[in-house]
Amino acid sequence: MTQPVVSRRDFLKIGGAAAGAVAASAGMLHAPVAQAVVSANLLDPDGDGYISTMCEMCVWRCGVRAKVKNGRVVKLEGNPEHSHSKGKLCARGQSGLMTTYDPDRVLHPLVRVGQRGEGKFRQASWEEALDIVASQMLRIKEQFGPEAMVFSSTHNLSQVQFENVLNGFGSPNYGTQRSLCFNAMVTAFLLTYGIEEPARNYDTVKYILYVGRNMAEAISTSETSAMVAALARGAKLVYLDPRFTKTASLASEWIPIRPGTDLAFLLGMIHEIVTYELGDCEFVKQYVVGCDELPAAMAEYTPEWAESKCGVPADTIRRIAREFAAAKTDALAHPGWRTSNFINSFQTERAIATLNAISGNALVPGGCLIADSPEASGVSLGKPPQPAYPRVSALRLDGVPWKYPLVPLKLGVFQEIREAIITGQPYQARGWFISRQNPVLSIPDRKRTLEAMGKLDFIAVVDVIMNDTAWFADVVLPEASYLERYDPLHVVDGRIFLRQPVIEPQGEARSALWIYKQLGERLGLGDFFQYTDEEDYLRQQLAPLGLDLELLKTRGYLDPHIEVEEPTEIRFNTPSGKIEIYSETLGNAGFSPWPTWEEPATPTPDRFYLLTGKVAQHTQMGTQNNQLLHKYSDKPRIWLHPSAAEPRGVLTNDMVRVRSDVGEVVVQVLVTEAIRSDCVYLTPGYGHLSKGLRTAYNNGASDSELHVTYTDPVSGGQALTQTFVTVEKA
Amino acid sequence: MAQSKRYGFVIDVARCIDCRACLVACSVENDVPMDNTRIWVHDLGIKGTFPDLTRSFLPYNCMHCDNPPCTEVCVSGATYKDPDHGLILLDQEACIGCGFCVDACPYNARYLDNERGVVDKCNACVQRLDVGMQPACVATCVGGSRLFGDFNDPDSDVSIALKNARSIQRFDLEYKEGVFTGPNIYYINGDVLQSGMGPRMPQYTLAEQGWKKALVPLMAAAVGGAFMVQATYFTKQLIEGEKEFDE
Repeated sequence: MTQPVVSRRDFLKIGGAAAGAVAASAGMLHAPVAQAVVSANLLDPDGDGYISTMCEMCVWRCGVRAKVKNGRVVKLEGNPEHSHSKGKLCARGQSGLMTTYDPDRVLHPLVRVGQRGEGKFRQASWEEALDIVASQMLRIKEQFGPEAMVFSSTHNLSQVQFENVLNGFGSPNYGTQRSLCFNAMVTAFLLTYGIEEPARNYDTVKYILYVGRNMAEAISTSETSAMVAALARGAKLVYLDPRFTKTASLASEWIPIRPGTDLAFLLGMIHEIVTYELGDCEFVKQYVVGCDELPAAMAEYTPEWAESKCGVPADTIRRIAREFAAAKTDALAHPGWRTSNFINSFQTERAIATLNAISGNALVPGGCLIADSPEASGVSLGKPPQPAYPRVSALRLDGVPWKYPLVPLKLGVFQEIREAIITGQPYQARGWFISRQNPVLSIPDRKRTLEAMGKLDFIAVVDVIMNDTAWFADVVLPEASYLERYDPLHVVDGRIFLRQPVIEPQGEARSALWIYKQLGERLGLGDFFQYTDEEDYLRQQLAPLGLDLELLKTRGYLDPHIEVEEPTEIRFNTPSGKIEIYSETLGNAGFSPWPTWEEPATPTPDRFYLLTGKVAQHTQMGTQNNQLLHKYSDKPRIWLHPSAAEPRGVLTNDMVRVRSDVGEVVVQVLVTEAIRSDCVYLTPGYGHLSKGLRTAYNNGASDSELHVTYTDPVSGGQALTQTFVTVEKA
Repeated sequence: MAQSKRYGFVIDVARCIDCRACLVACSVENDVPMDNTRIWVHDLGIKGTFPDLTRSFLPYNCMHCDNPPCTEVCVSGATYKDPDHGLILLDQEACIGCGFCVDACPYNARYLDNERGVVDKCNACVQRLDVGMQPACVATCVGGSRLFGDFNDPDSDVSIALKNARSIQRFDLEYKEGVFTGPNIYYINGDVLQSGMGPRMPQYTLAEQGWKKALVPLMAAAVGGAFMVQATYFTKQLIEGEKEFDE
C-alpha cells in the first residue's frame, strides 16, 4: 500500500493531543460528558466504562455501546437493545472511532486565503467564521433575494435545524442526496403504497427476489444478518445483477441480467402470475386497485416477450414467477435502495411494487413486506416553539414541481440545481451552504460540478473532515463527530434512541444543534432555535411524553409504552386507500397509469455499461480516509471480463484509460469472470481531489468524473448506469 | 491434567459474506498495528466460467491447537497453552521477539510486530472472555459465521453448531510421527480442505533434535545482552532527555 498511513504511535499521539485540547475548549456541553452515566455507575470514577449512543457511519443508525477509557473511545459494540444492530456492527461501524480520531479532522473553523481549490486556509475563531458566513448570506439575500442561496445536506438527525436555516432564510433551493440514490424507489412506493419505503420482514420468508439489492455488500446490519439467517434455514434467493457480487455468491440462483432490462423480467413475471391467476386473487383484489384489469394491461408482456428484451429464457421467468407466487405472503420482492440506474428505474420499481401487491405480502400480519407508516408507533416527540416560515414564491432551481410534477418536494432533483447554477436559468444562484455532503464526488459529471462552484460568490461547508467539496469552499465549519455530540432523538420501532457524546469534542468542533443555532441567530432567525443548548433541546423533545433525559442518557433508549390501537381495516395512504397498481395520479400527470415497459438506452458495441455499487467497507464517498477501513478494503480497480480484456491486451493490475462522454480516468484493472462482457464496474466514491485527505487523496479513480447526467422525468432520479464508456490500455 | 474447559471456534463457511467487520473489530480491540492483522478472511476466489460461478470465503485465525508446534519452540516461555481452557496465549512482556514460533506455526497465524519487537496473535480476546463477552470478531459477525465457546459444554453455541452441522472439517496436521496439531477451529457447512489454505509443516530455525540444549543458554545470554543494551539506552535517555522517535 503506497498511501500514507498513520502508525499506531501517531494514532496514540493524536489521541493525547486531543485529550489535552479538551481542557482548553470552551464548554459547549453544559454538563460534563456522560456525567449522568457516571452517576448511574456505568462509568467508574476514572470515567471508564460503556456509554450508549448511535452510529453514523451510514444511515441505518445502529445502536452503539462505546467503550471509554481515560477520556478516549477505545472500542465500539453493537447495542443489543437496538433493532438495527442487535449487538452487531458492520466494518464501518466498528471503524467509527478512526473517523473521530482521523488525523485529517478539521478541528477549527477555516477561512480560505488562496484560490478556490488551492487548499490554502487560515484558522479563524467561531465568532469570525460564523460572522463571515452570515454576512455573505445576508448580502446575497439583499442583492439577489433569498432564492439565490442554495442549501444542501444529506439526510441526518439534525435535518430539522438545517431546514430551519434554509426555510427561515426563505430559499426554495434544497439539494439532498435523494435523487442520486433512491428517488425511483421512494416515488414508486409513495404512488403505489402511500409509503416512502416499506420495511422487510424475514421471519418467515421463503422466497426472496433481489433486483440488484446487493445485501451482502450494501450492508444494513440487521437486515443483512436476517438475510443470511433466512438462507441458512433454507429460504430461496433469486438475485438479478449483471455482476457476480458477494450477494450473488450466496444466491440460490444468480441471473446476470442485461442492465436496464430487469423491468422486462419483472413484467414477464407479473404477466405469468396474473394470466394464470396463480396468487390468492380474490383476497388481494379487495385491497388493490387495478387487479381486475391487470391481466389485460400486462397482456403483451409474455415471458417470451421478456426473453427478447432481457435475454433470460422465458421458461426461467415462468418458473420463477410460479415459485414466487407459490410462496404467497412468504415471498418478498425487495424494493431496493439506491435505484438510480436507468430512466426506466421508476417503472422497474413500480413492477416490484406490483409483484409484492399481488402476493398479498403486505396485507397479512407477519407478511414479508411491512407498509405501515413510521408514525404508526404513536410516539410523538415535542419540539421547541417556532414561528411559521416566510412565504417563498421563487421557482425551485431543481425544477420541482414546474418541470418534474410528481417528484416529492422533499426528494428534489439535486443534479438539476447544478445545471441551473451553470446556466443561470431560471435565475442565477450566488451562494451555496453545504452540510454533511460531498457534491463534488456525488453528483454526476465532476468537472461540471466544479464549473458550477466556480460561478458562485460564496460557498460554506460544514463537515468533520476536509472532503472534496470543503476543499473548494470559502469557509469550513468543523462539526463534532457522531461520538462527540448530541443530535435530536431518533425513534425506531416505537423506542426512543439517543445520540450522545461519549468523549468531549476535539479541538473546536461543535454539534450541528449549536452551529445552526449560532448561524440562525446571526441571520435574524433566532426564533427558529428556541433552545439554550443541546440538552435543553432534547428535554423539550421528551417533555410531552413525560420522559427523563438523565435516564435516557444512562440507558441510551427509552420505551414510551404508548398504546396503539390495532387498525380495524387495512388502509393505505393513497387517494383510494388501497394499493394502487393502477395509478390515476400517474395517469393525470400524463404518464402511464400501469407499470410499463420503457426501452433502456444501450451502448454501441465499442462501449461498456459503467456499473456502480457498494463495497461493505465504505459508505458512499465519505469513509475512504478512515485508515481502518482503508486497511481492510480491496484496492479500487475497474472490473473487466476476460473476453473484453484479451483483445485490449490488458491484464489484471494494468492501467487502463476509461472514457465517457464527459470525462476520463486512468485506473487499475481487475480481469474477472464476475461481470458480463458488456459491462465494467468501478468501485464508487474513490479518486478524491482534496489533499486534505492524506489517505484518500488520489487513491483510485472517481466515478463522478465519468458519470453523465440523465434524469428520469417521473421520479427525478439520476440514471447512473446509462453512462457508457470505452476502455483502452493506458 | 484435563482442562476443565475446551475453548474453540466454529466457523459456518456458508454464512461468511466477507464484510470484514471481524477484521476491523479485532484490530481495534487488540490495538493491532495498521500494517498487520491478527485474523483473516481468505478469499478463495471466483471459480468457474461466467455465468456458472461460485465464490467462498474462509475466516481464519490461530487454531488454538491441542498440540501446538509454536509453544514447543518458544525460548522464553512467553507463549503457552492455557491449562484451564486450552487457548494459546502469549505474554508479550516475556516475549523476546525471536520469531521461532512464527516459523513453527503451520497456519501462519502469528506475526512479528517489528515496531515493538514482540510476536502477536489471536488470543480469542481473553480480556473480553474474563468479563463475560464474546471475542470481538464473534460478537460483531454480521452473517453469524464466527462462533466461539466451550466444546466441553454441550449447550454452548459451538457444541450446538457442531451437532447441527451438515459437514465438519478441520485443518489437522500430523507434524511429527503420530502427533497431530488438533486445531480447535471447526469449519462447518462447506468444503475448506480443497481451499489451498491448509497447514504447512512447521519450519524450525535449527535442527529439531536437541536444539533446545544448545539454544537456551545462548538465548539466555542474548536476552541478557539485550537487557544491557536497553539499560544503557535508558540511562542515556535519562541524561539527554527523550527524543522524538519518529522524526
